Amino acid sequence: MPLYICNARQGAIDGEAKQRIARDITDIHCAVTGAPPIFVHAVFFEEAAQFPLGDKTLAVRGTIRQGRSAAQKDEIASKITASLIRHGGIDSAQAAAEIRETPASWVLEGGEIMPEPGEEDAWFAAQQARREASEV
Amino acid sequence: MINCMCVIQAGQAPDQQRAALATALNRFAGEFLHEQLTVNWVPVPAGNGFTAGEPSTSSVVSLTAPEALSQTRRETLLRELVSLWTRQTGCSVDEIVAVIADPVQH
Repeated sequence: MPLYICNARQGAIDGEAKQRIARDITDIHCAVTGAPPIFVHAVFFEEAAQFPLGDKTLAVRGTIRQGRSAAQKDEIASKITASLIRHGGIDSAQAAAEIRETPASWVLEGGEIMPEPGEEDAWFAAQQARREASEV
Repeated sequence: MINCMCVIQAGQAPDQQRAALATALNRFAGEFLHEQLTVNWVPVPAGNGFTAGEPSTSSVVSLTAPEALSQTRRETLLRELVSLWTRQTGCSVDEIVAVIADPVQH
């Protein structure tokens, strides 16, 4: 977590564009929130019924840990939209990004309950300690 | 009825394994949440999943509990869910993200 789901019209973007968008999403999320890159997942689908495109060519739905400010969420959405426009070769009316939130305490990742935003260092230290203990 | 969404990377859970996973998820839901469960498989095509901007092997399993859970109870269920997933698929705990949400309050 976060999980960014990108849905696209059939053939709208190639593999190279997907990789670039995935890297942008990771960089944007980490720059805005300070979260570590390893938390950031991005997956791409074409015309997946579960994630309706509406009138868009490319759309991203990001589910992030609860606790970010409205300004942070707006910044993430606008920068991801810009990445879709740039790498998808589309105009602004064809791209959209929305951000939803999930409490960190509802998510287990890497074998541990996700940390609250800003508590990542302690989480990684606890995870490292658990790994070392399991190797003994 | 609980809807369980499973976002899985290409090749990680072939059809035969999915059937076993669905059975195990149903058993989990019956035993711990006292509800039946339907699995909505969302396979990620090869080359379409990324973690930290690089090709990913992570899957996501997400469901909503029929009633609000205490955090102690939720953590127990999440660990059980991850345990059954790693047992069935052979993946590591670093390759599975599990989410158990509370129902939306109206």
